[in-house]
Amino acid sequence: MTPLLEARSLTRRFGGVVALGQLDLEVAPNEILGLIGPNGSGKTTFFNVVTGIYRAEAGTLSFEGNDITRASPRAIYHAGISRTFQRSRLALPLSVFDNIMIGNHKRLNQGLWFNLMKRNAFKREFEASYRAARALIEVFEPWLAERMFEPVTGMTMIDRRRIEICRALISQPKLLLLDEPSAGMTHDETTTLMDEILQVREHSPNLTIIIVEHEMGVIERITDCCVVLNFGLKIAEGPYRQIAADPQVQEAYLGVA
Amino acid sequence: MDIGLLAQYIMNGLMAGMMYALVAVGFTLFFGVLDVIQFAHGDVLTVGAFTALITFVGVHAAGVHSGSIALLAMLIVAIFATAGLGMLIARYLVLPLRAAPALNTLLITLMLGTVLRESVRLFYPQGANPKPFPALLPANSINFGNFNLRLDNAIMLAAGTAVIVGVEFLLNRTKLGLAIRAVAQDEETARTMGINFVAIVLVAFAIGSGLAAFAGVMDGFYYNEINFGMGLYLGIIGFAAAIIGGLGSIYGAILGGFLFAALQTIGTVALPFASAYKDVFAFAVIIIFMAWRPTGLIREKISERV
Amino acid sequence: MLPGVIALALASLYLSALLAVEKQPLIIGLLALAVIVALGAYWMGWLASVSRSFADRENVLGTMAIVAAFAMAAYFHDDHFVLLLIVTVLLYTVATLGLNIQFGYSGVLNFAGASFFGIGAYTSAVLNARTTVPTLVVLPIGGIIAALIGSLLLLPVLRTRGHYAALVTIAFALLLKAFLEVNDVLGGPQGLQVKGMTVGGWSFNDSIELGKIELSFYMSYFVLSLALLVAAFILVRRLERSWIGLNLDALRLDETAASCFGLDVARWKITAFTLGNFLIGIAGALFGMVGGFVAPNNYTFADSLILVSILLLGGIGNPWGLAVATVIVIVVPEKLQTIQEYRFLLYAVMVIAVLLFRPEGLLPRPLRSYFPGWRP
Repeated sequence: MTPLLEARSLTRRFGGVVALGQLDLEVAPNEILGLIGPNGSGKTTFFNVVTGIYRAEAGTLSFEGNDITRASPRAIYHAGISRTFQRSRLALPLSVFDNIMIGNHKRLNQGLWFNLMKRNAFKREFEASYRAARALIEVFEPWLAERMFEPVTGMTMIDRRRIEICRALISQPKLLLLDEPSAGMTHDETTTLMDEILQVREHSPNLTIIIVEHEMGVIERITDCCVVLNFGLKIAEGPYRQIAADPQVQEAYLGVA
Repeated sequence: MDIGLLAQYIMNGLMAGMMYALVAVGFTLFFGVLDVIQFAHGDVLTVGAFTALITFVGVHAAGVHSGSIALLAMLIVAIFATAGLGMLIARYLVLPLRAAPALNTLLITLMLGTVLRESVRLFYPQGANPKPFPALLPANSINFGNFNLRLDNAIMLAAGTAVIVGVEFLLNRTKLGLAIRAVAQDEETARTMGINFVAIVLVAFAIGSGLAAFAGVMDGFYYNEINFGMGLYLGIIGFAAAIIGGLGSIYGAILGGFLFAALQTIGTVALPFASAYKDVFAFAVIIIFMAWRPTGLIREKISERV
Repeated sequence: MLPGVIALALASLYLSALLAVEKQPLIIGLLALAVIVALGAYWMGWLASVSRSFADRENVLGTMAIVAAFAMAAYFHDDHFVLLLIVTVLLYTVATLGLNIQFGYSGVLNFAGASFFGIGAYTSAVLNARTTVPTLVVLPIGGIIAALIGSLLLLPVLRTRGHYAALVTIAFALLLKAFLEVNDVLGGPQGLQVKGMTVGGWSFNDSIELGKIELSFYMSYFVLSLALLVAAFILVRRLERSWIGLNLDALRLDETAASCFGLDVARWKITAFTLGNFLIGIAGALFGMVGGFVAPNNYTFADSLILVSILLLGGIGNPWGLAVATVIVIVVPEKLQTIQEYRFLLYAVMVIAVLLFRPEGLLPRPLRSYFPGWRP
C-alpha cells in the first residue's frame, strides 16, 4: 500500500545543530502514528518542514505520491494537510467561530464581489459554516458550542486546544498533525481530549493522524505505530509495546542506566 | 571630472556617511537589546543639537569666550542630556510596552518624536526658523590643488571615527559591551547569568542617544545651522541605513550609513539640478534593495519560534 | 436601541452647540462639559451599552445619524465656515476609514495617509484644469491613482515585517513634499488651484436659492460628501463582516498560522492597502475641489500622523470610534483658536497617553458579528 506521507532522507540543520538527520518516515493511510522523543529531538521541526514553514536542506517529502518538498504552507494546506501548534496559536481577540473559520479557508468563497455585494448568498454560506463548525465542536465539548461567538481570550487551556483542533479539522484534511496536544493539561483533561479525538476519527474514517506527545499513556492508547527520534535521527520504529522495550529508546529518555 | 570637485563630493559624502552611521548605530543598539524601533531617535538628535546651542549661549552669557571651553561644554551637556533623555524614554515609554504588540512601541516613539520636534518648534524662541550654529572649530584650510581640505571637517571626521571606534571597542572588548551583546542575543539567558536587564537596556539607550547628540552637534558645525526638522530627516536616513546594513549588526549600521551617503553622492553627481532628487534616488535604491534582500546585508536576527 | 438613540441625539445637539458658539470661554466650558460627561458615562458603564446598541441596531441608528447630519446642515444652511468644517470632517472620516482597512484590519502601516489624500487632490487639480473629464468621474480616478502609487510603493516590503513598511511610507511622505515643492509643473510650493465640481451643467460653487432661503454653496458638497461617507462606511462594514475581514484579522494577528491555513498573506495585504488608498484618494479628490486649491504644505508627514492619531484615539478597527475621533481632532482646534498652533503636540501627547493607558482607544472594536442581530 502506498504511504500517505513519505519522507526520504529528510535533512534540516540550524547552524551547527542537526535538527533532522536523513530521516526516513512513512505514514500509512488511516493510521495514527506517534512521533516521540526527548525535547529537541526534531519532532516539531519535522512538522514545520512538512507544512512548509522550514525548507528541507536535503531529502524528499511526498504526499499521496506527489512531491511536496518545496511546497509553501499554503499549498500544503490545500493538498489536505492540517496542523496544530505546540505553543497554542489562536487569534485570541477573535471569537471561537472566527478561529475555526480561519481553518476553513479553502471551503469558503473568498471573492471580493461575493463577500461585499452578494450578501444573501454570503449569509447562506455563513449559516452553513456555522452549522458545520457547531457540529464539529459538539463532538468535543457541547458547552463550547453554546459559546461560538465569545472571544477566545478567557478560555481554559483544554478548551483552547479543542478549538485549535477544530480549526485544523474543519477543512476535512486528509492528514492531521497534532503537536503536543496535551501540553499544559492535567492527566484527566488529557484522557478526555484523547477520547474526543478518537470520537472524531470515528466520524471521519479517512483521517490519518501524526501525533507528537510526551505522555506515553496517550501514545500507548491511541497510536497504531510509533517512530522515535533522538537528536534528529530515527532510533526506533514499530508498535508502542515494541519500542518501549527497546534499550536505545530507554537510554534516550532516561540516560545510561 | 575635475579631481578637486570629486574630492569635494567625497568629503561631503564621508561627512554625511559619518553622521548617518552614528544615528544608525543607535537604531541598531535599540533594536538589538529590545527588538524595538525607536522612532523618536532622530528627534532626540534635534534635542541634542539645540541643547548644545543653548549651552553655547549660556556659556557666552556667563562671560566665557574661549571657543574650546564652549565646544567642550556643548558636547558634554548635549551628550549627557540626550543620554538622560534616552534613558527616560526607555524607562517610561518603551519598557512598559514590552508586552504589547511591537507596533505599539513603534507608534508611541513616533508620537514622542512629534512631541520633541513640536516642543522645539513651539518653545524655543523662533523655533520654526533655522538657527545659526557657532563655528568653533578652526576654519583654515589646506590646499591640495583644486581641493580645499577644511580643517574643521578633517577634525570632525577624525572625531567621528574615534567615536565609532570607541563604540566598537566598548561593545566588543569590555564587560559592559559583553553584557549588552548578551541581552541582545537572549534576554532570558542573560538574566539568568546575573545581568541586570533593565540597567543594561537603559545603558544601551543612553549610549545610542548620546551618539545622536554627537551627530547633531557635528551636523550643526558642518552646516552652520540647525533647525527643528533636522532630526526627522537624519532619523529616517539613519533608520534606512540600519536596515540596509541589517538591523542588529553594528558593522552593518556603519556600513549602511556610508552606503546611503554614497548613494546620495551618486545621485547628486548624476542629477545635478535639484538636491531633492538625490534623496529620491537614494531611497528608491533602498526600497528596491529591500525587495531583493529584505533582511539587509547582514541578516536581521529573527527570533520567532514556531 | 434606546441608549444608541439617546447618545446620537445628545451628540448631535452638543456638536451643533459647539459649532454655533463663538466665544472662547464658552467653547472651553463646552469642552470641559464633554470631558466630564464622557468620563462619567465611562464609569457608569453607559459607553459599553451605547456600543452594544450601535452594534446590534446599526442600520437603524446609521439612518438616524444621516438624518441628524441633514438636520445640522439645515440649521447651519447659510454658514459657510461651519458647513466647510462639517464637509472637512466627513471627508477626513472617509480617509481614516481607508487607513483603518490598512492599519486596523490588516496591520499594514501607512504613515503617508495625508500624502495619498494630497495625491487625490492634485489629481483633481490637474484633471479639472487640463482635461474635460467630468468632475464626478475625477473622484474615482483620484482614488485609483492613489491606489496605484501606493501599491507600487508597498509591493517590495509586504513580505517583510511592519517596520519596513513604516520606513517606506515615512520616506515617501517626506520625499513627496520635497518633490512637489521643487517641481514647478505641479505648482511648486504655492500649489495649484482646483476647479470646483460640476454635475450636469450645474456648478457646485454657485450658491443655491430655495425660494427665499439662500443656501451656502457648500451644501452641495455636503450632500456629496455625506453620500461618499455612507458608501465608504457600508463598504468597510461589509468588508469587516465577511470572510475577507476575517482573513485580514488572521494575517494581522499571526501571519505564520494564517499561511498554514491557506491564506495568501501578500495578496490580502496588497488588497487591503489598495482598497484603503482608493478611499483616501477619492476623499482627497473631493476635498481638493471643496477647498479650491492644493499645496504641498497641507499634506505633510505631520498631517499623516494626525490621521494615524485619529485612528488610535478613536479605537482601531471601530468605524464609529473613528467618526467621533475625527470630529474631535478636526473641530476642536478650529473652534479653540488658541490651541491651533499646538495641535500636533497635543494630539501626540494624547496618543501617547492612550497607548500607555487605554490602547484599545475611545470606542474599542467589538467582536465581529457577521449579521448584527442574527441569532443562531
